[in-house]
Amino acid sequence: MEKKKLQAKDFITVGIFTAILFVVEFGFGMLGFIHPFVVASYVILIPLVGSIPMMLFYSKVEKFGMITIMSILLAIIMFVGGMGYLGAPLIIVSGIIADLIARAGGYKSFKTIIISYGIFCLWVCANYFPVVITADAYRQSLMDGGFSAEYCDNLFAAVNVHTIAILVVVCFAFGCIGALLGRLVVKKHFVKAGIA
Amino acid sequence: MKLKLDPRTKLYMILVVSSIVMMSATSLFLWVVRIIITMVPIGLLILEKHYALALRFLIFYVSALVLMFAFISENSTGFLTAFLLGYCSIVVQFMPAMITAWYVVRTTRIDEFVSAMQKMHMPDGITISLAVVMRFFPTIKEEYGSIRDAMKMRGVMFGGGNVARMVEFRMIPVLFSCVNIGNELSAAAITRGLGGKVKRTSVEELGLSLTDVVLITLFSATMIIFVVFKYL
Repeated sequence: MEKKKLQAKDFITVGIFTAILFVVEFGFGMLGFIHPFVVASYVILIPLVGSIPMMLFYSKVEKFGMITIMSILLAIIMFVGGMGYLGAPLIIVSGIIADLIARAGGYKSFKTIIISYGIFCLWVCANYFPVVITADAYRQSLMDGGFSAEYCDNLFAAVNVHTIAILVVVCFAFGCIGALLGRLVVKKHFVKAGIA
Repeated sequence: MKLKLDPRTKLYMILVVSSIVMMSATSLFLWVVRIIITMVPIGLLILEKHYALALRFLIFYVSALVLMFAFISENSTGFLTAFLLGYCSIVVQFMPAMITAWYVVRTTRIDEFVSAMQKMHMPDGITISLAVVMRFFPTIKEEYGSIRDAMKMRGVMFGGGNVARMVEFRMIPVLFSCVNIGNELSAAAITRGLGGKVKRTSVEELGLSLTDVVLITLFSATMIIFVVFKYL
């Protein structure tokens, strides 16, 4: 495939899917206030649910840069939303790697798309990094912010240096499962309708 | 009087407020600074005649603040207290950034935003995509609302209690309409010469007025105060 430059149409596609992905993420993110263990289960929920718009998005990606731009936008939104400056660069890094992997398969090979989406999902984990790296300071700021000690204990029991590796792996695995699921849904609904 | 701020000032406000939100307030003085800085976008909303929105934010923020300070303690156990407290602190923590973001999205027109980004020499890709994201949040809300209405009318609200179906029933139609709207949007954008090789000009003449300068100074000062008092 010859190298093409990104067009205005591509940017608009990126914008739309970023907005949808963020709304999905935000909706499920709200569940985290119920119990800290839900925060840890983001790594399962968000890759699964987010896979449907993302697989539709992947079917529209043909050029290098679209996934990268999406991750940059997500980083900007996360920054504005007060999610921390530690996570933002990691989100962009995972986006670039995902983009490179998908490009290796020409954006058409489903095998590379699965892996690429798995990597892309690691942006969910990036939001945990402030929790892990600055554990003590973060705990203190949560307490000062009015969270109860119980919430904090549970949160740090679920997310800490030991579990972060597991969370990353689980996130990647469910990203891959999500990719398969999303593919099925896209085939069922959108290919028939001629949209994907 | 119609207040008109430069979009760059607004973006700067977002940057400052979200940085302040990230640094949690540890003393009473810092809390006061935070509350004052939150009142600025609310005041601006009132000046721009979004009374209902401003009032809603104000009531929400103040009640969360009062609840939190009334019940604050590190040993609060019990599900309901913890839940309420957690919820209030989330509101207090993130509300300032949300109010500012809402204010900017509501009062900035897309062409203003794009020309401001161009003046700051942002790459086109980020500008266009970000503008679409900004424009799209209200659209998604609207589309989702109509889908919910349609579902209510047919009585399939809960998809037979099946969680997967509940998600599917909501998400697929939203995606359908968003993709279609996106196609229309691209057509409209191309008609207006977006993505051409020529440098685009803008009808909107941007310039920093006195109000902008005052606000930028105010926000910079707040930022410095916050950092100095927290870390020194």
